[in-house]
Amino acid sequence: MTVGLRLDEAVWGLLHQALELYRDNPRATGHLRRQLARLEQPLRIAIAGPWRSGKSTMLNALMGEEVAPVDGADGSGAFTWYEDGAQPHATAYSTSQPPQELAIGKSPTGMRVDLVGWRAGELRDIVVRWPTRALRQVTLIDTPAITGVDEHGRTPVMDRVLRDADAVVYLTRDGRGSDLRALESGRESAVGQAAPVNVIVVRSRVDETGGGRIDALLTARQLARRQHRDPRVTALCVHVVACSGLVGLAGRVLSESDFGALAQVARVPRAALEPFLLSADRFVRDELPVEVAGGTRAALLDRLGLFGVRLATTLVRTGCDSRVALSAELIRRSGLGELRELVSRFFVDRRDTLKARSALAAVEAVLRADPTHGSGELLGAVEQILAGAHEFQELRLLAALRDGGLGFDAELAREARRLVGGDGVGLDARLGVEHDASVQRLWEAASQAQWRWRERAEDPLLRLPQRRGAQVVVRSCEGMLAELAEGGR
Amino acid sequence: MAGIWLDVLDEIARTCHEHGRGDLLQAVRQRRAQLLDPSLRVLVVGEPNQGKSQLINAIVNAPVCPVGDGSTTVLPTVLRHADVAAATVVQAPPPAPGRPAGPAVTATVERTPVPLNEIAAGVAGSYGRLPGGGPAYVEIGLPRALLGAGLVLVDTPGTDEVALLNGAAAPNRADAVLLVSDSTRDLSVAELNMLLHLTRSHPNVAVVQTKTDLVPDWRAVAERNRRHLAEAAVPAALIPVSATLRLRAATADDHALNAESGFPALIARLRRDLAGKADVLARASVGMTARTVVEQLAAPLRAELESQAAEEQSGPISRLHAAQREVDELRRCSTRWQNTLADEMGDLLSDLEYDLRDRTRQILRMVDEAFDTADPLVAWDTFQEWLARSLTEAAEANHEWLVQRCDWAARRVAGNFARYGYDVLPPWSMTVPEDLADRLPELERPNIDRFTASQKVITGMKGSYGGLLMFGLAMTLAGMPMINPVSIGAGALFGGKSIRDESRQLLRRRQATVKTAIQRHVDDFFIRVNKDCRDTVRQVQRLLRDHFTVLTEELQEAIVQSFRTAKQAADTDAAVRDQRQREIRAKITRLAALYEQAQQLSVARPAPATLGRRA
Repeated sequence: MTVGLRLDEAVWGLLHQALELYRDNPRATGHLRRQLARLEQPLRIAIAGPWRSGKSTMLNALMGEEVAPVDGADGSGAFTWYEDGAQPHATAYSTSQPPQELAIGKSPTGMRVDLVGWRAGELRDIVVRWPTRALRQVTLIDTPAITGVDEHGRTPVMDRVLRDADAVVYLTRDGRGSDLRALESGRESAVGQAAPVNVIVVRSRVDETGGGRIDALLTARQLARRQHRDPRVTALCVHVVACSGLVGLAGRVLSESDFGALAQVARVPRAALEPFLLSADRFVRDELPVEVAGGTRAALLDRLGLFGVRLATTLVRTGCDSRVALSAELIRRSGLGELRELVSRFFVDRRDTLKARSALAAVEAVLRADPTHGSGELLGAVEQILAGAHEFQELRLLAALRDGGLGFDAELAREARRLVGGDGVGLDARLGVEHDASVQRLWEAASQAQWRWRERAEDPLLRLPQRRGAQVVVRSCEGMLAELAEGGR
Repeated sequence: MAGIWLDVLDEIARTCHEHGRGDLLQAVRQRRAQLLDPSLRVLVVGEPNQGKSQLINAIVNAPVCPVGDGSTTVLPTVLRHADVAAATVVQAPPPAPGRPAGPAVTATVERTPVPLNEIAAGVAGSYGRLPGGGPAYVEIGLPRALLGAGLVLVDTPGTDEVALLNGAAAPNRADAVLLVSDSTRDLSVAELNMLLHLTRSHPNVAVVQTKTDLVPDWRAVAERNRRHLAEAAVPAALIPVSATLRLRAATADDHALNAESGFPALIARLRRDLAGKADVLARASVGMTARTVVEQLAAPLRAELESQAAEEQSGPISRLHAAQREVDELRRCSTRWQNTLADEMGDLLSDLEYDLRDRTRQILRMVDEAFDTADPLVAWDTFQEWLARSLTEAAEANHEWLVQRCDWAARRVAGNFARYGYDVLPPWSMTVPEDLADRLPELERPNIDRFTASQKVITGMKGSYGGLLMFGLAMTLAGMPMINPVSIGAGALFGGKSIRDESRQLLRRRQATVKTAIQRHVDDFFIRVNKDCRDTVRQVQRLLRDHFTVLTEELQEAIVQSFRTAKQAADTDAAVRDQRQREIRAKITRLAALYEQAQQLSVARPAPATLGRRA
């Protein structure tokens, strides 16, 4: 919502200007046309991260089905795209051969794609079509491991991720600096610097924190929160969360038989059970005092991990006495619920903004790669759009508000979040009025909000970040008023 | 047994000293002190959150090192035996310039005791550390039998770069290094690099794979890790352990659980290292030290050898070659200028002679023409004046040309010396002499016969007599008297004719005489002038020759002098270099011998080592 031209319209116009400028350059034109087409396509979210950071598990957890990894995706260097489709279908695109269809095997909780006869490094993309609601609005991309950061912080995989995806869920096991350096390559362009709103950093595999203690997830969440307050990290991403993909996925695909087995295990008194939960070996090997087959236990361990088994048995013992309740609690505790909400709030709800951002970045890349007569003016236009794009600022403010980082009291923070679109981007949702309110009512609510927040923006008693946040809210209100004025005419 | 490796180590130290490498000497001395110290210093390194501190806790069976989920270990922690548990933050003063860091300054370190309940804060670097101080570490004393046997454990902040390990955590101060990597994933590339780095300089490195309790397939991970190690050619053993199980076993006093934790193997290894420190480990360590030291010492020597080979192309030898070329050039130059001088002078002489002859010939031709008609008697005076003038002119012109040509020739010769900057002409002043006219031979007036009146009469009488007689006799035959008008007329006629004839004849003779006289005079003139010219030319030639000979000699002297210096320099340089090369070779040989000796220590003696251990 920009006063004047809307962001997506401005970007659409810019793309056409760039197409006009590069009409003699087939490579650039092809690139720009693809960007134009992408504006109409679902949002592309890439799951990226270093080696063994749990990318495929996280993708499965987000989808709620076990579809990844497509065999060897971690080492083969291929991007695996999960798109919505009526029928399960998988196609392999290689560098040297024509596209080839792949066989799909169904499993109880998902599917498996066999890659037979492909050499490592030969495949470039695998596109999997899979009928699921989760893919209605987004395309998920499973990426190869990000390795070998060079001295400029660049890796080929991350470069491609930033080019091909609109948003990135970046996984890191412990959020150490060397992992985050790959993200810094995204800050080279003007678009990347102005709007790092397309990355959510996830501390993954947090069930292993602190040797799998029962409070592992809580401490991990605290660490994530602490990291989010680090300015170096804030400059790279819109949010940092902790999430255990394994436990989350287990929660989403938990079957009745799994629950039955867990309930059986949980029936053993805590003191008696504890020695068996000391190590994975013991859980599988030693004879439990209850009747759970060794194979089932191994499957449980495989599905939940040792920490998951500990957590699940504790949860069952403390009241989650049905599959649904246990599953919901596992999802909540794993941090997957928070992550999904963030993805939907920051990425899916704002897909137009993010796609426009990708298009801006693409135009900027083309302009910088092939400077011609007139590209300087277009670069200026890119910067102008960036400077005027209020959407990015709203996203940043939203992220800051979520964390309570600005220090507004709860009521104010809630109002600010509502006004900048944290509860929905429609006018009524923003203004907190009933769905069928009249234009007059909307106008009043908006102008009142504007006045209130303008005062806060100029209040010398507030801290600088608070005043800046208030300014963003004021701008949002102005945008709503402008929209109302336009609609009223 | 200890004696032998100690000897080798001392030998290494001596070599370092000989090579003037104080830094290496320091390191070797430190290593020596460390090897003589009976305690075993074990450094625990690894990436963050791999369970390093927990591993140490599990080894000593006590929660001494703080364990947390973020990066909790900020300062290196040194765990050693003490009768009473105590903790201290040890901080070196800020590194002052000019003072070498090392054991010498340990006396001045700041020691701040830390209460036992503040150890976590101390290790996190937030307690007992002075701001702006130097590198600090935490020292914890603990009454444990294993530590009492001499084991010292060093916990380090998590990192995947060896370069970040320094101070108390420096790998070269440790006897053994344990790299900790957890079972949730294989060894990463960074870890393998770190291992490669460590094993290159360290004889005793092991990989501890922690958290086996957490991962069902830790055996597969261990198997893969062993394969990675083999592929990367890292000579490090892999020990899978579970600190959680070990700690649990300690509290529950459960031996089976302890065995399951994998720690007995690790501790047995540490004990073995401790027992074998004075022998196996020390020898391996000395071998490793020898290798690093020899490599470091040999590298500059080798570089010097190589650079010397390159230096031969430049330096004194090349200067010698240049001087040699200069000498040759001078020799060529000398021949050249001499030839030039001779040629020029020869040409000059012949040209001048021709010129003079040409001029005199012309004069003579004009004289001939003039006296074909003119009577010397009448025209002598004017003629003499003209002749003298023309001859003077000819001589002057000739001389002038001589001067010009000489000058030109001198310049040609001097041109040969242009590259030496010595193209100066001798200081001469050759001009046309003013008294040239006076030096010419005086023309004597030739003796000319005059036709006097008496001679005329006699000649006329003689002629008329013949005519009178001839006609008179012929007339007498005709009967006429002998003297008659006709005969008298004929006599007069004849007399007149003979006077005329005689007069003409005399004129011819006079002309011939004059011509001859003039010719002789001109010849004289020619010879005289030519002689003058030749003299002058020779003089000039001699002058030039002398001048340029002196010049050449000067040049030669200078050049030969420089050649001699260059040669001398080259000779001494070659000698010095030979000497240096021999020295370097000898040094390298000595280093190789030392290296060999050190390797013998660690390689060729496994049998006594095992015997000793069994004993």
